[in-house]
Amino acid sequence: MSRALPGLAVWVAALALAWLLPGHLWHAARPAPFPLEALGPASLALGLMAALPPLLVYFAGPSLARRRSLSALEAPPDLAWALLLLALWPAAAGPPGWTAWTAALLAASLPSEARWLASALPPESPFPQAWGAQAARASRRRSLARLLPRWLAARLPLWLTASLVVERVFGLPGLGSDWMARVIARDHRGLALWILAFALLWIAARPLEREAA
Amino acid sequence: MKRLLILLGLAAALGAQEPVRWVQEAFLADPGPLDFVKGEGQEQFIAQSLCGDALVGLSAEGRPVPRLAASWKAVKGGLDLTLRGDARFADGGAVSAADVAWTFNAIASDPQASPTKRAALGDLKASGEGLHVSLRGSRSAARLLMELWRMPIARAGRADMGSGPFSCARDGSEWTFTARPRHFLHPRIPGLHFRLLPDESGRLVALQKGWLSLGVPPPQPGLTPPPAMAELIQPTLAQLIVWAGPGMDAGVARAFARWRRDAFPPALMGRAYAPAKGLWPAALGFAEMDPAPGPEPCPKALELVYTAGDGMTERLLQALAVRAARDGVTLKLRPMEAGLFIDQLTKGKLPLGAVSNVFDPDPWSVLGYVEPGGDLNFTGWSDAAATAPLMKLDAPESPAWKELQTVWARHPAALPLLDLRSVLWIDRRLEVRPSALGIYLATPGAAGWRWRE
Repeated sequence: MSRALPGLAVWVAALALAWLLPGHLWHAARPAPFPLEALGPASLALGLMAALPPLLVYFAGPSLARRRSLSALEAPPDLAWALLLLALWPAAAGPPGWTAWTAALLAASLPSEARWLASALPPESPFPQAWGAQAARASRRRSLARLLPRWLAARLPLWLTASLVVERVFGLPGLGSDWMARVIARDHRGLALWILAFALLWIAARPLEREAA
Repeated sequence: MKRLLILLGLAAALGAQEPVRWVQEAFLADPGPLDFVKGEGQEQFIAQSLCGDALVGLSAEGRPVPRLAASWKAVKGGLDLTLRGDARFADGGAVSAADVAWTFNAIASDPQASPTKRAALGDLKASGEGLHVSLRGSRSAARLLMELWRMPIARAGRADMGSGPFSCARDGSEWTFTARPRHFLHPRIPGLHFRLLPDESGRLVALQKGWLSLGVPPPQPGLTPPPAMAELIQPTLAQLIVWAGPGMDAGVARAFARWRRDAFPPALMGRAYAPAKGLWPAALGFAEMDPAPGPEPCPKALELVYTAGDGMTERLLQALAVRAARDGVTLKLRPMEAGLFIDQLTKGKLPLGAVSNVFDPDPWSVLGYVEPGGDLNFTGWSDAAATAPLMKLDAPESPAWKELQTVWARHPAALPLLDLRSVLWIDRRLEVRPSALGIYLATPGAAGWRWRE
């Protein structure tokens, strides 16, 4: 419990900030309703983001972090991916929907997340590489199992809110837009609920981080 | 064989029919749920203008025209109106005086009611029976007629239901406004379909790919509409205004009035901006007037705060700072988050603050500058000489307006820098009526649009 205190203090401070955020709008508008229709696509995108980078890193190993091809994919910001997809989208097909949003978000996020995980893996040379491929994969599997909960708790909320850019380009109000709209409208209660949800995610991930005795 | 020929003929006739064309549009921000009492913001007002009817509308030329009220009569202390007999809410119920009284009472008594509507309502009280409505308050009848368009009438007890020419349905991030053919304005388009497109680049691509029938292009100079679209430029009643905080004397206003004349290069302003002239919007009938001459010099260093995130405003203010430097004045620009900016501005804590304001299409909307507690009077501006003309503003052409403006010119608390224009790209086949209120808020608004054959 004492190890969790500093983290809990940070979340309480964030909650207080959300509740006491100063400022107001000139002509205060009511915040839009929570975008329930975005929950499905967001869950799918986050599920893919949670599954694909660990799989990629499991097969490619820590050397993935030094691949130039990954750097090339990582360089464009999410705005560039979204605009590229929008420009290539056939006019006759009508405006792109959640499928395009998921594709742009994954294109923007997967390379960075794969690098994040690959860099966090312990080196495999000379050991366990010297003991053979099976030993190396076992080491990766164990390391990834230790990393995953921490990674999910730290990175996924970030992507959830960073998806705002892609949502704005495609005109699909999702979770990122909801978060930002509540900051702009100074919806203290809505913001506090968001912080609470993130804090719960962090708390839920903590037992999974414990070292086996 | 005969049957087959008839069927083929029917199929050919159906195929030759013009497809039903809906107007594809985009909101720049989420309008929120339709609410005729609490709803606030430009997008919400557009939705209300489509789904609701005010007692009196404003024509594209800015004149009061019948809407829910078929006729009216100015009486001592207000207006007596007679409602149309054929106005129906979305559920089929007839519009009556009870609905008018309920709407006005809800705006006045609900602490979360729209501040814009509350300001338009003032101390107005509605009563009546059947189709006869009495409006009583301290404002003149001429002013009331110009302000009633702000308040569409909701069904008593149902703040989300209006009697307008379109009915609204929301599905996720899409809004569909379907024409009500029996409405007294007789809408001539089947409806409008709105998407939410807040991003300028995304909106531009949607316009270029033909996914929108009309939309606001990014404010970059040099952009041209695609061949199927035409550009429509509407004068608006929006201005970029500089407010001077406490401690700022008339010398600052005089300096800004001088700089605004030649600070902004036309290539930078594009079609969406023009340098403002005078103190109050000329479009409201005010004579061009500069701050009165005086002995106060302009300080050599000034700080101008503005809302962060608007790249165009930032570039224009940078041009202003360059112009100020030519007079030896250092104009430091400081961006601030919108919520914090408004908080500081309304508390009178900013030395100088620049923000856009949209005036209503009647001269009384400038009273917010001069009345104690006015919605634009952030620094508590007052002048004993203003009391007399304020009592005599019963008509737009009253000479008291000039008198009041002369008092304001002695030590103005705010000065407009730029007049804003609305630039729209519109499908060439769509016929709309531009106005200073925009294409939606005037009467008949979207109900008067039609597709050219």
